Amino acid sequence: MPCVGKDEVRRHREMTWMRVDRYFTGEGDDTQAVHQPMMCQHCANAPCETVCPVLATVHSTDGLNQQIYNRCVGTRYCANNCPYKTRRFNWFDYPRADELQNLALNPDVTVRSRGVMEKCSMCVQRIQEAKAEAARTGVPLVDGDIRTACQQSCPADAITFGDLHDTESAAAGLARGPRAYSILTELNVDPGVTYLADVRNRPQHASGERHGQ
Amino acid sequence: MSIVNAFTQFTTGSVRVVTRGSVGYFAWVAALLALIVTGLVAYMGQFNEGLIVTGMRDPVSWGFYIGNFTFLVGVAAAAVILVIPAYIYKWKPIKEIALFGELLAISAIAMCMLFVLCDMGRPDRLLHIMPLVGNMNLPRSMLAWDVVVLNGYFYLNLFVVTYMLVSYYRGREPNKYIFTPLVLLSIPAAVGIHTVTAFVYNGLAGRPYWNASILAPRFLVSAFCSGPAVMIVLLQVLRRVTDLEIKREAIWKIAELMAYAMFINLFFLVAEVFKEVYSDTHHLKHLEYLYLGLGDKTALVPWAWTSLIFSVVAFVLFLVPKTRQNVVTLNIGCAMIFIGVFIEKGIGLVVPGYTPSVLGEIYEYSPSTTEILVSAGIFGVGALLFTLTSRVAIAVLRGDFRLRTANQG
Ligand code: SF4
Repeated sequence: MPCVGKDEVRRHREMTWMRVDRYFTGEGDDTQAVHQPMMCQHCANAPCETVCPVLATVHSTDGLNQQIYNRCVGTRYCANNCPYKTRRFNWFDYPRADELQNLALNPDVTVRSRGVMEKCSMCVQRIQEAKAEAARTGVPLVDGDIRTACQQSCPADAITFGDLHDTESAAAGLARGPRAYSILTELNVDPGVTYLADVRNRPQHASGERHGQ
Repeated sequence: MSIVNAFTQFTTGSVRVVTRGSVGYFAWVAALLALIVTGLVAYMGQFNEGLIVTGMRDPVSWGFYIGNFTFLVGVAAAAVILVIPAYIYKWKPIKEIALFGELLAISAIAMCMLFVLCDMGRPDRLLHIMPLVGNMNLPRSMLAWDVVVLNGYFYLNLFVVTYMLVSYYRGREPNKYIFTPLVLLSIPAAVGIHTVTAFVYNGLAGRPYWNASILAPRFLVSAFCSGPAVMIVLLQVLRRVTDLEIKREAIWKIAELMAYAMFINLFFLVAEVFKEVYSDTHHLKHLEYLYLGLGDKTALVPWAWTSLIFSVVAFVLFLVPKTRQNVVTLNIGCAMIFIGVFIEKGIGLVVPGYTPSVLGEIYEYSPSTTEILVSAGIFGVGALLFTLTSRVAIAVLRGDFRLRTANQG
């Protein structure tokens, strides 16, 4: 897709739903990097939702922050108000003439259209599919039935998805754990994403040098 | 004759009034039309290509359009608020001041709406954002409120102006039980539109540059500088072309009030700058970008200083009685104050709010050619609207344009 890649990012048209922020400590040979994937935090108290004049971004019963592409009028007000800067605006149209490229698109995800805002949907299509399947078969969903695309593709298994209300779920357990922290909590947006502090074993480095705690 | 009939005659008569005039008038209208057509062509390009043809990008997602919108809301608000001093100081043509103030407000609001339309990614879904027709996010979204109050203000003023003009046209005094309450209502409404517009920016916790409680008061006082500047120029023109009794003192008084407003505006600026500079947090970066630039990123610096210097000079010009009463310096002051506030409430308000972005990146925004042409076109629409409506209003006030009926002769 012509939307990602160095050149477009350089022109400030990054369209990734999840970007990986890097924070550095130390200098020269001793430089260390911490990676922090940043996507829509699905804030419970979402500042992007309150500002949209046409209710194009609303909360679902699952606790997701949803973007309704065909309601969006493109004021970009929500992007102004997202403190995590995770919203992406379609400034232009993508070429759709290439048949092969079209075949490569995921049919479950709404195709990008010019003039509207978009962002990480927490793979709502997978959630809905799993819920519909559970309703059909009558077998209740259990923790781990739904895996988001990022979770599935992460080789280090660094991402866990689950129902935070289900106290037994793996995600809820991690979110209660000692390493858990959220980002920009002082804004009281109550993000739905919890991060885990990086654990390192490097005796020569005093603690406090790391970012993100 | 029934009111409907009179109104029809008024409309057709108005067309006749605006299609006649001197060569100078036609040249002016033609120039405006040319500007509008250029803007329209530029907008067609934007409509086809998307907002990519503007200078806006993800880091700076609002720009020149919304800046102009903000500025013009101020002009619209202040033109009407001018009725208060006119009333307190018993300036003679108070009804005329109210009338032309409201004409100016109507033109300014029309421009505001066009600017919002041009800034929308999906203008084809305009109905979603229209009051009553669309499903709006009320009472939560400030932008939804802004649409509501701007529409309300537009129709309120449109009604008052039409009512007054048609009354005069029929050779009657406007009924003061209809006219006075509506004009009085338009004053809080004027304060309202500008306050809500300030709140559009104000409520964003993630944008510290705008998240200052002084924003709404500053909006109002700066509007009290730019709106009357237009009115002063206008009243002088009216004195030339009509036999309306517009006292010189009234104009000087407006200039004096503007000096006070400018003083308060500058004082608020100092208060804001002090708070940021003295506490010296990361939030200072936005102000730094505006006035000093960050590293080699200095696109806004010349504009910021032009605005500041113009504002201070205009303040002095209006404060000193001699220069305020001199036609030349008075008009220079008006122009300077207009430009000063235009920069301050336009680019100077919007862009630093985004720069540096939440991630600390700096994207230097500058309006693209499309944005400039479209904006010029919209200003052309406003100027044309104001020219035509004022022409009708002047003809009515001078008595040249009257309903002719058998019994009234
Ligand atoms: S992270 Fe941003 S886009 Fe996602 S819910 Fe929070 S404010 Fe909205």
